[in-house]
Amino acid sequence: MSNYAVEFKNFHYAYNGGEVVLKDINVSVKEGSFTVLLGPSGAGKTTMCKAMAGIIPYYYGGRYAGSVEVLGEDTKGRRVSDIAMRLGLMLEDYESQLVSLTAGEEVSFSLLNHGFPPDEVEERMKKALEDVGLPGRENYQLDELSGGQRQRLLLASVLAVHPRVLVLDEPVSAMDPEGSVSLYKLLYKIHQKYNMTVIVVEHNLDYVLPYVTDMIVLQDGSVVASGSFEEAASIAYEDRELRRILPALWQVKLNLEKRDGIHLGMWRKTSDAISELKEKYGRAEL
Amino acid sequence: MKEEQVFKPEVELIEVPPAKDTHRWVAITALLLAIGVILHTISPNIGGVTPNWTIAMYSITISLTNPSFSQSLGIGFVAGLTLVPSSKSAFPLGNIASELTGAFVAALVVKSMMQMGLADFRFRPYLTGFLATMASGSVFTFILKLILNLPMHVYVYAMLPVVATVAVLNGFITQVLFAPAQKLFFIQGARKK
Repeated sequence: MSNYAVEFKNFHYAYNGGEVVLKDINVSVKEGSFTVLLGPSGAGKTTMCKAMAGIIPYYYGGRYAGSVEVLGEDTKGRRVSDIAMRLGLMLEDYESQLVSLTAGEEVSFSLLNHGFPPDEVEERMKKALEDVGLPGRENYQLDELSGGQRQRLLLASVLAVHPRVLVLDEPVSAMDPEGSVSLYKLLYKIHQKYNMTVIVVEHNLDYVLPYVTDMIVLQDGSVVASGSFEEAASIAYEDRELRRILPALWQVKLNLEKRDGIHLGMWRKTSDAISELKEKYGRAEL
Repeated sequence: MKEEQVFKPEVELIEVPPAKDTHRWVAITALLLAIGVILHTISPNIGGVTPNWTIAMYSITISLTNPSFSQSLGIGFVAGLTLVPSSKSAFPLGNIASELTGAFVAALVVKSMMQMGLADFRFRPYLTGFLATMASGSVFTFILKLILNLPMHVYVYAMLPVVATVAVLNGFITQVLFAPAQKLFFIQGARKK
């Protein structure tokens, strides 16, 4: 039995009539990890998320080679709806994934499509709404919910089928900083509570820094770094383009490590940096 | 200047066709036929001629979804049924036969044009709407001719010209409404068949 939530093996992909956008991807995501997928625009992050859900190449079509395994099973030959029972995907344009009139119907829709019995649908729907901080809102019309709440609602719809892996493509791109922090807190809570593997595409790593365990860095359709966040960030730091998309705190840390030949700890918050700098240098300002 | 290099994989890539929609045609048919019924009920005469919204709507559906012939006959049958209750003709059930023919002809036009490589021909919807209406109208009026025992020259010189006029109007409606319908129904992951 594989210990990987997702594993890409020599995976290549090209959209219909297009050039190859994912090039020989060999990477795995550990089960139970909180992995961030990082890379400049057009690097192939969204395509990779869709490949995990099986909609690439089997729904969109195109040309491919290699394989993608979800929890040890190849996505080839499996229906997208079957994969969705194990791996939940939330795309960036979350509004387009909402289809019902009320919050309760929205969460129930996916469950009913999967063939759950009505009693279980009701129970799971209520639990999922509770998990995302929308308890008792099942009769709310979608337009009565704020943008952030609608996003949580979609998250509830994905969570209701109890997937073991959750993939989110830029979940906070349309949210204000407070909403973004709050959504990531919620995701981390869910990740801890259910030991769920979370894979998230995020441009602003400051939001995920407190929670991230692993990182995959994509550039121009290829994986240039993967593994623990610390290892991958160190590799990415060596590239000028990628360095800029690392969290500011880590740019400082990696710069200091390189300059002074020292090893600093896992800085998740500014306070971690301050206390370590005080300890190492005797002051926080350099 | 940096030279753009095209990545050539060392392995051969396998081509996969996009997944086919299995039920979208049903949803589109239901919605457009419902719109057709409403328009049929409320639309006024234009110069003594009333456009046949139902034919225009299933012509759009068939142009959009390219259903099989049997599916098209199903669409035609349902379209005919929707017309029976409100029909003021001498033989309302004639609508079923005429719409079966119309939908079949629409499917034939769409499939033939696709086979001829004319899938992107700009006036394909016009042609589909026009020919489907001609076929449907000819069958419907011919049934009337038989039931009312009308002479052939009445059918040829009085009925068919009206059918042709409605067909021109319907072709125009189909053409105009095709693009918005395409945008509406294929807004996500628009894929040509």
